[in-house]
Amino acid sequence: MTDTTSMTQASGGGLSAQKLGLIAVAVLLAGLIAVPVAVGDEFVYHIFITICLFAALSTAWNIVGGYAGQLSLGHAIFYGIGGYAGVILVNLGISPWFGMFAGAAVAVVAAIVVSWPCFRLHGPFFALATIAFLEVFRVLALHFRELTGGATGLMIQLNIGWEWMVFRERLPALLIAFGMLLVCLAVAWAIRSHRLGFYLVATRERESAAKAAGVGTVKVRLMAVSISAALSAMVGTFHAMYLTFIEPESMFSLQFSIQIAMFALIGGIGTVWGPLLGAVLLVPITEFARGALGSEAIGLHGFVYGVVLMLVVLFLPNGIMGVVHRFTSGSEKTEGEQAAPVAAAPRSAVPHEAGREVMRVEGLQKHFGGLHVTNDVGFTLREGEILGVIGPNGAGKTTVFNMLSGFLKPDEGRVSVLSPSGEWQEPATPADFATLGVGRTFQIVQPFAAMTVEENIMVGAFHRHPHVGDAREAARETAHRMGLGPYLNAEAASLTIGGLKRLEVARVMAMEPRILLLDEVMAGINQTDVRRAVDLMLSIRDTGVSIIAIEHVMQAVMSLSDRVIVINSGQIIAQGDPHDVVRDEHVIEAYLGKEFTHA
Amino acid sequence: MDTFLQIVANGLMLGGLFAIVAVGLTLIFGIVKVINFAHGEFLMVGMYLTFLLSTGMDVHPYLTAAAVAPALFVLGALTQRLLIQPLMSARDEHVQIFATVGLSTALMNLALLVFGADIANTPAHGVRSQVMLGEVRILTGQLWVFGAAILLVIGLQLFMKKTRTGRAIRATAQNRAAARLMGINDKFIYILTFGLGAACVGLGSSLIAPLYPTSPTIGTYFVLIAFVCVVLGGLGSIPGAFFGALVIGLVDALSGFYIGSDLREAVVFTIFLLILILKPSGLFGTRMNLSHVSP
Repeated sequence: MTDTTSMTQASGGGLSAQKLGLIAVAVLLAGLIAVPVAVGDEFVYHIFITICLFAALSTAWNIVGGYAGQLSLGHAIFYGIGGYAGVILVNLGISPWFGMFAGAAVAVVAAIVVSWPCFRLHGPFFALATIAFLEVFRVLALHFRELTGGATGLMIQLNIGWEWMVFRERLPALLIAFGMLLVCLAVAWAIRSHRLGFYLVATRERESAAKAAGVGTVKVRLMAVSISAALSAMVGTFHAMYLTFIEPESMFSLQFSIQIAMFALIGGIGTVWGPLLGAVLLVPITEFARGALGSEAIGLHGFVYGVVLMLVVLFLPNGIMGVVHRFTSGSEKTEGEQAAPVAAAPRSAVPHEAGREVMRVEGLQKHFGGLHVTNDVGFTLREGEILGVIGPNGAGKTTVFNMLSGFLKPDEGRVSVLSPSGEWQEPATPADFATLGVGRTFQIVQPFAAMTVEENIMVGAFHRHPHVGDAREAARETAHRMGLGPYLNAEAASLTIGGLKRLEVARVMAMEPRILLLDEVMAGINQTDVRRAVDLMLSIRDTGVSIIAIEHVMQAVMSLSDRVIVINSGQIIAQGDPHDVVRDEHVIEAYLGKEFTHA
Repeated sequence: MDTFLQIVANGLMLGGLFAIVAVGLTLIFGIVKVINFAHGEFLMVGMYLTFLLSTGMDVHPYLTAAAVAPALFVLGALTQRLLIQPLMSARDEHVQIFATVGLSTALMNLALLVFGADIANTPAHGVRSQVMLGEVRILTGQLWVFGAAILLVIGLQLFMKKTRTGRAIRATAQNRAAARLMGINDKFIYILTFGLGAACVGLGSSLIAPLYPTSPTIGTYFVLIAFVCVVLGGLGSIPGAFFGALVIGLVDALSGFYIGSDLREAVVFTIFLLILILKPSGLFGTRMNLSHVSP
């Protein structure tokens, strides 16, 4: 998706382009007020108020639909809740300025109830679930007539004045709508440029990699939907005051939800300014068509929306912002990857004095159905030790890794980790492991494809550095150490496999782990890179980090490991000094078969 | 007891109606792996075509299926060729969802533009007359729909299991790359499948039109219910969609009577959410289809 470029620019490079962009946005926003005031026409006021409202709603939607990648088509739930809360309270004599916060509070509760169970669902299924929730809300709003007025709807008591948000003239309404738009944009911008935004995009791109980087994926998504729901509800309250009449069919409408999402898609899904652009471009066209052609053209605006939506997904999948970026960042192309030097000095493996125990693994058992994939695996890891794990394909090495990092729960046995304060703890989830300083890579690389190399590493760096500036600095330092310096602003998706493997290690290194789990980071990379990786791992080890490395590249295993564990059919069949282990009969048999044991 | 039997009969008949809409939806999902949000609008287009043909030429609406189903086949095939196929390799699913949502919005509003918001009543030609089956009263049209749904399910199953094309379709669904290596033209298979799915709903629309008044928004109601049936029956399973539809028909009828007719949809969608969240493989899902659930 497109949102990365907005962050890269802040990091240097297209600074002038970024300034230009901000000026353009400022002009656009000023125009939203200036044009209707200058024209002074009621209808023009109405159009601009509608633009502000849709842009605000779409910006709020984008926090969930864009940043978090959870495609909600039920956002009218929150808008409707805000509207009803406002109207019901106004009719009890309470100002909508309070009502909008009451509505926001209810919407947050609804958002959590709706989203929590749905986070397991992906793409179209999340969308379907949100539609179903929306239908339930609509039906309930129709059913509870005492509260909502049912199908006949609710009228507000017409008290005019600022405290009731109801005005004879249009200007104050425009000002409020504009203010709400500014609030939504400010919140969206703040999220995008802070840790939460990075975490949301990382979760969207690769949930498991985000978890391994210590991201509480459920927590950040709940925060996103809560913020988005609260903003939507507040806009809903104002819109209800503006309309002076609400009914379930219009407040909890699927078509309305789709429109909100559509503006974001057309402008540029996941970007800060995209939803604003989408609304500014589309609302006037359709509103003018509606105004000019009147009731004859019923359906025209919807038809235009639908056609534009199809054309955009076919020809501009990144929306208008995608086009804008193609022009502003055209020069920032990354050349083909060359081998970049790794900053670690060459060294040979010297026998290393291992420190105290930092991880204890006892009696791990795991069954997948009838398959016994891990059978009584136990070992200890010492501070500053490199433990090599080898074994034939399918031996169950990665399964053990998954249990050492919280991605799989062992059927029996336990994994204890020494906390920095010196107590033994038994972490359960990936987040617990990350908190204790256990970092891991994945055998099949899991980059956050839509983020740049720098941003990928920053996701790891946030673990120790909550502020963007510090995290960026730490990420750059790690990138240079890993030889990724030249590619900082390249999209991760554009790296070669060797680059991706290094990125995988860089991301976990940026977490500054105390225990590092490396899953075949050398598979498929060339000889020079293997030697570099060996040097790098030794230099990491020398800083006191303990490493467990699954590896097939024997050259690396032999020169790196202080100790080697051989796993076959889920069992440890040998362990000890690497040079002894490779001569072990069981090991030779496991790799080559019985007839080779005496070769 | 009579009332209860009557409600059950109504529910089953309603289920048959849902089934004939849901079968095409599950076919497209199972093979092309795309959720067609415009499926309801396909139904709506088919119903308007039936209305126009049967009033214009004064023929029985069922006879128009001979023209409506092929027309919908073309609409479906074009949708796949022009809208979905260019997006099949897209990095995220957003674009495919928005593509069919866009098509749905465009078709619905086009119908509003052309036909206005008024409803169109397709002449019944006798299918709204009642027959007594023992104690219960049923519309003959409902019986026809129910029978057609059963025949459609059996026919599709035979087609998928027994014919060369059917096997090619199933192979493509299971592993697109391997199917291509075996010389199957996967693009053609997808176009064919999308067309077939749309033709199924085209057939359904000619049968449903004389029973329900046609309006531009009728598709929304049916497609949401059809999603429920499809998920309930296990995504992509054609017999599953049929039995899912019967269950939802029964739930709809029973909850309408015992809980309140205005809360029927709330009950149906609550069941849908529970299934989606708790048992995503569906009630009758024999094989696990958890591609949409994270590990």
